[in-house]
Amino acid sequence: MKSYFSSEISLSKFSYYLPTAYKIVDDFEIDNPDWNIHKVIEKTGINKIYIAEENQTSVDLAIEAINSFLKKFEVNPNSIDGLLFVTQSPDYVLPTSACIIQEKIGLPETILGFDINLGCSGFVNSLAVAVSLIKSSTLNNCLIVCAETYSKYINKNDRTTKTIFSDAAAVCLLEKNSKTNFLFSPFHFGLDGKGAPNLIVKGSGARKKMIGEDSNLFMDGGKVFMFTMSEIPKFVNNLLKKNDKTVADIDLFIFHQASKLVLDTLSQKLNLPSDKVFRNLGSVGNTVSCSIPIAICDAIDQKKIFNGATIMLVGFGVGYSWGGTIIKWGE
Amino acid sequence: MNKEAVVKIIARALEINNDKLVYTSHMDEIDEWDSLGHLSILMQLDEDFKGKVSGLKSLAEAKSVSEICDILLEAKLIVG
Repeated sequence: MKSYFSSEISLSKFSYYLPTAYKIVDDFEIDNPDWNIHKVIEKTGINKIYIAEENQTSVDLAIEAINSFLKKFEVNPNSIDGLLFVTQSPDYVLPTSACIIQEKIGLPETILGFDINLGCSGFVNSLAVAVSLIKSSTLNNCLIVCAETYSKYINKNDRTTKTIFSDAAAVCLLEKNSKTNFLFSPFHFGLDGKGAPNLIVKGSGARKKMIGEDSNLFMDGGKVFMFTMSEIPKFVNNLLKKNDKTVADIDLFIFHQASKLVLDTLSQKLNLPSDKVFRNLGSVGNTVSCSIPIAICDAIDQKKIFNGATIMLVGFGVGYSWGGTIIKWGE
Repeated sequence: MNKEAVVKIIARALEINNDKLVYTSHMDEIDEWDSLGHLSILMQLDEDFKGKVSGLKSLAEAKSVSEICDILLEAKLIVG
């Protein structure tokens, strides 16, 4: 394993929070009889999506997730060194939502914290940032918190987006630990702004106002799918090659849980055995940046991730932005 | 592979009988050819053409059988 680096970083604490309100996708047929919902579910593989309350933001979801995380793992908030908050639906463009979270949770005022505006690649890419910060001894530990409320951008009449995106928050803690046996491969990334118009909320920044159609999430499913089909199998093969690995060496592939169609396509193009491709999107939906940490959490619970397992993580989507790594799981 | 074969691939992707689709069919005329149906077409074409279709980005915007065939012809993946 010449390309792994012994990071002395452990990554064993994961948890997530889902809003209490959810919709069974089947029920969309009641208000939208022309949506052919059974066909939708057949393609997306998503049966249930979670929706934040009207007055509940990604910061609120994050706070719920962090509080239950700190309690579950008996982590003292005063021990936290860094906070990376991954979201594309922050409370405000400014100030940084990480500042708000710091104050509400009671994290030290001496920490490094900032928002990362990434979607489906958000967890893997922020993992790269956190690993770098700890490896460089800038931080001793770092909370990565992903939280998303795409529901606030979705038009209720848009079948494409309404039936797949789900709100959630997920937390993990990276900790410097000289005794841990976690190993990380070098991270690899991709960035292609030609994809920007294909998954966008046009009014969500300084370019346009948040009015009318520009306040809605727009997704050109065909173009996003073509990007995924074209780039991600190449990326996965490249990640394997650069790490002297083959599919046989990987115990579990955790891809961004975009949709059943996407996971089926990737599995087919990469010739991946079905038991090596983790899927949990049916009961959770596409939770954007939360999808990989939620999948990791569920995979740990299902004992599909265990000490010594070799796991590939690949996040890809909005931007377009993508990233991946291989982790030899430790304790 | 020729245009007739492409028509059959598209029909299979949309899970409709072959006789419901012809070379001149447009997505507006076929109920099953909505945005999700189009994704199924893209996936089926990529599978049947053994991965050679994933680089043809213009397929994402194709709205008719003839348009799809023109793209595949230009890419020399089918014969006229």
